[in-house]
Amino acid sequence: MARESFVLTNGKVVIKPRTKIWLYTAIVLVLFFACFLVIPIDFRTIRLAQVSVILEKLFTPAPGKTWGDYFAYMLKLDQPIMETIRMSFAGTTIGAALCLPFAFLCSRNIVKSKWIYQPTRVFMNFLRTLPTLVVVVVVAFFFGFNVFTAIIAISIFTWSIMTKMLYETIETVDMGPFEALEACGGNKTKAFSYAVFPQVMPIYLSYFIYTFEINVRSSVVLGYVGAGGIGVVINENIGIYYDRVGAIIIVLFVLVIAIQLFSSWVRSKLQ
Amino acid sequence: MKKNYSGERLTVAIQLKRQPPKWIYNTLLTIVVFILVIYSFSGTVISADRLNNFWPSLRVMIKGFLNPNLKFLFGLDDASIPYLTLQTLAIAFAGTLIAAIFALPIGFLSARNVTGKASKIGEIILIAIRTFPEIILALILIRIFGIGALTGTLTIGIHSVGMLGKLFAESIENMDRGPIEALDAVGANIWQKIRYGIFPQVLPDFLSITLYRFDINVRSATILGVVSAGGLGTPLIFATREWDWPTLSSILIAIIIMVVSVDIISSKLREKLV
Amino acid sequence: MIKFTNVDKFYPNGFQALKNVNLEINDGEFVAIIGLSGAGKSTLLRAINRMHPISNGDVIVDGENMSKLEGKELRMMRSHIGMIFQSFNLVKRMSVFKNVLAGRVAFHSTFKTLFGLFPQEDKIIALEALDKMGILEKAFVRADQLSGGQQQRVALARALAQNPSIILADEPVASLDPVTTIQVMEDFKRINTEFKITIVANMHHVDLAMQYAHRIIGIKDGIIVFDGPVSKVTEQILEMIYGRKLTHEDILEKPLGEIING
Repeated sequence: MARESFVLTNGKVVIKPRTKIWLYTAIVLVLFFACFLVIPIDFRTIRLAQVSVILEKLFTPAPGKTWGDYFAYMLKLDQPIMETIRMSFAGTTIGAALCLPFAFLCSRNIVKSKWIYQPTRVFMNFLRTLPTLVVVVVVAFFFGFNVFTAIIAISIFTWSIMTKMLYETIETVDMGPFEALEACGGNKTKAFSYAVFPQVMPIYLSYFIYTFEINVRSSVVLGYVGAGGIGVVINENIGIYYDRVGAIIIVLFVLVIAIQLFSSWVRSKLQ
Repeated sequence: MKKNYSGERLTVAIQLKRQPPKWIYNTLLTIVVFILVIYSFSGTVISADRLNNFWPSLRVMIKGFLNPNLKFLFGLDDASIPYLTLQTLAIAFAGTLIAAIFALPIGFLSARNVTGKASKIGEIILIAIRTFPEIILALILIRIFGIGALTGTLTIGIHSVGMLGKLFAESIENMDRGPIEALDAVGANIWQKIRYGIFPQVLPDFLSITLYRFDINVRSATILGVVSAGGLGTPLIFATREWDWPTLSSILIAIIIMVVSVDIISSKLREKLV
Repeated sequence: MIKFTNVDKFYPNGFQALKNVNLEINDGEFVAIIGLSGAGKSTLLRAINRMHPISNGDVIVDGENMSKLEGKELRMMRSHIGMIFQSFNLVKRMSVFKNVLAGRVAFHSTFKTLFGLFPQEDKIIALEALDKMGILEKAFVRADQLSGGQQQRVALARALAQNPSIILADEPVASLDPVTTIQVMEDFKRINTEFKITIVANMHHVDLAMQYAHRIIGIKDGIIVFDGPVSKVTEQILEMIYGRKLTHEDILEKPLGEIING
């Protein structure tokens, strides 16, 4: 590409520096179209008209039924919804408790020794790459598809992502109080729990709620493989009773909004 | 002389009694949480059979994991791991790009400092998209676009708009107001302000957010295959149904290599952006 | 008593922060260490409680060789040495009381402290320390609600709660305004005279050091270039320590002549 240059009226020449933005844009576009080499598109199977049909099936009562039936079904969901909440709550709590010592061990500013924080981080990274689905299946192989398996899988997921979020936060705290507690004879655990934990406590809580919300949503996937909760009900009804699936979507939506409202209330309290 | 409100001198003994009873709340909270967690496990039935078979099962599983299905792992046809891994990455990449393009206008619409009260509309759209479970979206889109990778791509393309739009809007809300004031002063309209005042400021942020979402989408692209929306998820779910540990092992190897390398590349790229 | 014999300190990059330091500080003294920033004041101070380990030589505190101590024994020694910092180093969102109580962690098991289980007498010690610093009424207020001077008093109370024989102060008034600076220095003086606690403080302002300390240690490029009572300090000595004439930045409020002669 030739460089753009300008000649001013007083004879000075200004050369515009080369920008690579067009090159990058071109690379991204080429990659984008290359993606469709492995994403087959078969126009004969696409039925766009289905969009409105499906939406109508989902969010209105089925033929021969009333809105009363539609909402009555929502009320019947209390048990699977409670199961989803229980699974997510227990899993998030166990994972959040586990993440504390591990976040401590992953923080460069606390443990200082490379030989401790590097292996711990590698282990946590490995844990994070495991798809929850695989964890569920492995646990289910020993304990069967039930609430217990779901809780263990959610705990492991929570443990892996909260540890990362928490240690990244710990590495940004004010280390002054930690130094002060080491100076008055505290060991690392004491200094951590009196100088670092109080600083990250509100953030820890908001991570907890954030992860809880993710877990409630992902419990749909767990249910899909049969590990309990609302996902099981969706799996039973999808493709057969659209109105029921629609009702479940609305209930989940309300639940997630409620968690978000609760979380912003908690956060405002902690400020 | 220090006095408390009743007029007597404040002493250590008085302050000792005034300690906020925080420990009572803390203890109660701990007990309640503990009970709730225990209660959450209720209804779990673990058959004695499975427990008795714990060690033999473990041996079978470990043996399977140590002997990955190599034919599947290195096969070159479109039902083997290399092709499916590429497809997973393609689903994530194309889906993220589609989402980023749609998230741009909605992000601007939901930024309070750009559109004022109208931003509520954008926010509501974004919350609705975010809370719609991805897997249900995929199940619905399958009825429209058929089984396969296209459905996965569009699922990610639609679902990611929720988070991208929200983070884009936050980034716009946090930027420096100075340049926009300057553009106001030279009489720019809203489009000119977006093009010359906002866009250059937020572009690095937007790119970094999009890369971050790409990371997440690589993982969700594997999950979406579970409902036949393309990628590694489809053989994954079949292998899990049959407890086919060697196949599962080879898929897991592919996923770990893929996720770790995407993580490394995207964090390198993000460092360059800052 | 604190005793340095032939102490050297090298940083990993090869920089020598302390060069053959020999020093003796008796119980009950109030010592001010002065010098330019980067001269080694902070390293010297932190060598005492081994927050910075030394490279050669011995630092002996109350008969214990600090450079030989590790782990639990080191922490037990540190628990009798209070330390005050320029930025107070309090946990801002914790109550004043808990901040002071945290000064007693070394005296209890990790398990107990993890759950915040302090015995009643420790709570009384913490509150009494606050009372000694005149801020008892602030006990259950969050630390960030206090002014800078009050926060430094909380830090002093935390040190007092350790029941220390020595208090080390690293630029204790550097982030305070002139009025609070005087108040906090008066607190140090009171702690020194009333409770007979040895005080070793790094000071930036020469006039403050001369006014409150009994003894001045001048350090330049890691070498102790002056060590003697305040009365022996002359303008020439100060210029030698600083390697230049004193400027208004080295002084809080008093004219130089007044310090030397007063």
